[in-house]
Amino acid sequence: MSPKSKNAVASMVVGLAILVGYAVYAAREGGAESLRWWASTALAFLGIAVVALILVQIVFRIVLAASFAAREDDPRRVKRMLSSAMAEDEMDRMLGLRAARVGYACAGVGLVGMLATLAFGGSAVLALHVLLGSFALGSLVAGAVSVHGYERGVRNG
Amino acid sequence: MDKKLTITNNIRKLRFFASEMTQLELAEKVGASRQTILNIEAGKYTPSLELAFRLADAFGVPIGEVFEHRTEDSEDA
Repeated sequence: MSPKSKNAVASMVVGLAILVGYAVYAAREGGAESLRWWASTALAFLGIAVVALILVQIVFRIVLAASFAAREDDPRRVKRMLSSAMAEDEMDRMLGLRAARVGYACAGVGLVGMLATLAFGGSAVLALHVLLGSFALGSLVAGAVSVHGYERGVRNG
Repeated sequence: MDKKLTITNNIRKLRFFASEMTQLELAEKVGASRQTILNIEAGKYTPSLELAFRLADAFGVPIGEVFEHRTEDSEDA
């Protein structure tokens, strides 16, 4: 598996862990129909997710550098290998666009699902979770699309 | 009838004849990541025209020597 695939998988795992954490916390503490409580809880977990993802990126680069250093003695070559492994180029941009398209599609379905929930008499809290769930799913699917692209290849056109 | 276009490349061979240039060195010359060079070489990624020209320039050969194509009749057409 390539370093970029591993990076995407690490981000997906962290995203999934935060999602599970939110679900566990909500199941234990939630139950209230107060939109304000749910919104502030979701915001807090969003903040945790952002910090966790930044930390994962830092740790990932350290681990990658260490693994390159274990294989290569020359520090300059290790630096070159690291910058080449993490450099963003046209393939990354293309995969990013494809992943984002899938992510937007999930978010779009989530928006329709949220409206349908409200239209059919579902609670506002349920509607909020349909939307949040679709965003989370979209993010995970986008990550999976990236990994698939890096491992199986992608064609222009 | 639709024609299926298959693009192949000679990057591995050209690297060999360029004093065994590594994928990392080639990636640095053309401004791409090593992963992208690896994918192009393996036929998993078709580069943009710009990157294709950069690759040709890196080896100092015409683009036709780096990439080749052949067309076949598509069966499902």
